[in-house]
Amino acid sequence: MGCVQMDEGKITFRLSDAFRLGYDNVKRRFNRAFLNIAAIGLGIAFFSTLSLMDTIFRLNSQIRESGSMIEGYQYGLVLVSFVVCAISITNSMLIAVYERCREIGTMKCLGALDQHVLKLFLAESIILALLGGVLGFGTGFLALVLVCIFMGFRALSIPPSTLLLLLGKVTLLSLALSMLATIYPAYKAAKLDPVEALRYEV
Amino acid sequence: MRSDVIIETRDLARYYVLGGEVIKAVDGVSLKVYRGEYLSIVGPSGAGKTTLFNLIGGLDRPTRGKVIIDEVDISELDAYELAWLRCMKIGYIFQTFNLIPTLTALENVALPTIFAGVPRDEGMRKAKMLLKSVGLGDRLNHKPSELSAGQQQRVAIARAIVNDPDIILADEPTGNLDFQTGREIIKLLKELNRKRGVTVIAATHDLKMIEVSDRVVFMRDGRIERIERMGV
Repeated sequence: MGCVQMDEGKITFRLSDAFRLGYDNVKRRFNRAFLNIAAIGLGIAFFSTLSLMDTIFRLNSQIRESGSMIEGYQYGLVLVSFVVCAISITNSMLIAVYERCREIGTMKCLGALDQHVLKLFLAESIILALLGGVLGFGTGFLALVLVCIFMGFRALSIPPSTLLLLLGKVTLLSLALSMLATIYPAYKAAKLDPVEALRYEV
Repeated sequence: MRSDVIIETRDLARYYVLGGEVIKAVDGVSLKVYRGEYLSIVGPSGAGKTTLFNLIGGLDRPTRGKVIIDEVDISELDAYELAWLRCMKIGYIFQTFNLIPTLTALENVALPTIFAGVPRDEGMRKAKMLLKSVGLGDRLNHKPSELSAGQQQRVAIARAIVNDPDIILADEPTGNLDFQTGREIIKLLKELNRKRGVTVIAATHDLKMIEVSDRVVFMRDGRIERIERMGV
């Protein structure tokens, strides 16, 4: 251990600051952020619609007797869409890391630790996940209503508790998806060598 | 007791291997920098000024030799202590300003206070005060892209001193500025040096920017060619 007299405070990066800076970045670079939100949203929308359809089929005895149901392979498709969505987020985040190379280098120069950079990117990913989750849920519900009108089912027969439960489920799901997809880019950003990062020309 | 020497380098060297060839960016630099001094480092590009700065700031590890800041050999510091050093003790000013493009002038200046754990209100208040003191009181909420080059460098200077560092490392601070604006930036740095007693080390290849210095170090090919004391 060194013997610097660290009497003038500690290096830190409060969670509130991470979210504030992350939010600023999402807001001010909205085009890229929107692509990520849309990617999450589409996956979640697909899952939400399917899950709600399932509920309607189960609640409606007439449909149940006709043998219509959501098949396992359809959930398989949802899984595939999640994988595609995660890959696209990872890709987009990796590009963002290179774009923000100097920015990251500068922050490290000003006293940010690796873990602070990681925290910033994960905070951003949580913001994207929440926005994507809500957007996806809304889109999914809308799609369901359209399908029901088209097929003559009553969408509103779904109990609110089921909807709430699903909203909770998709929020957790999109958080997991987004964070999983961001871990590698965030780690890369955190490990950037500040000397290299500051030399990097965008 | 605090020594008069704030930074000392002993036989400091940093070699790179580039395409199978060894580049001696810094090659045996021994230098003492005194507390409160304004030191200019002059040399053509490629003389090793930036590498020397990176070594002093603990951003880069030397191939050989030592950097001693306030009697502490910084090669013995861990990542956390180095970050603390960069946050609290050293203020950086770059040729390319390196402001965060998504943040306003005020937020840019306040950024280092976040890492220093200063409460947000206090950090913002201090940032505002410093921006006023560098003549940008009416530009607080402008983004870097809405500021002129000279204004951006002023923001960067305010950011460099927001945590009250003992040392300012300015790497070609006037390199991207026209002559008149460059002179104003140098004047501002000198003023900080005189009023706050902060030690300034400024690299430049422009001999017109060194008249404010107490001493001038001439570097070439990674070595110190000579050191001149400027007449007062």
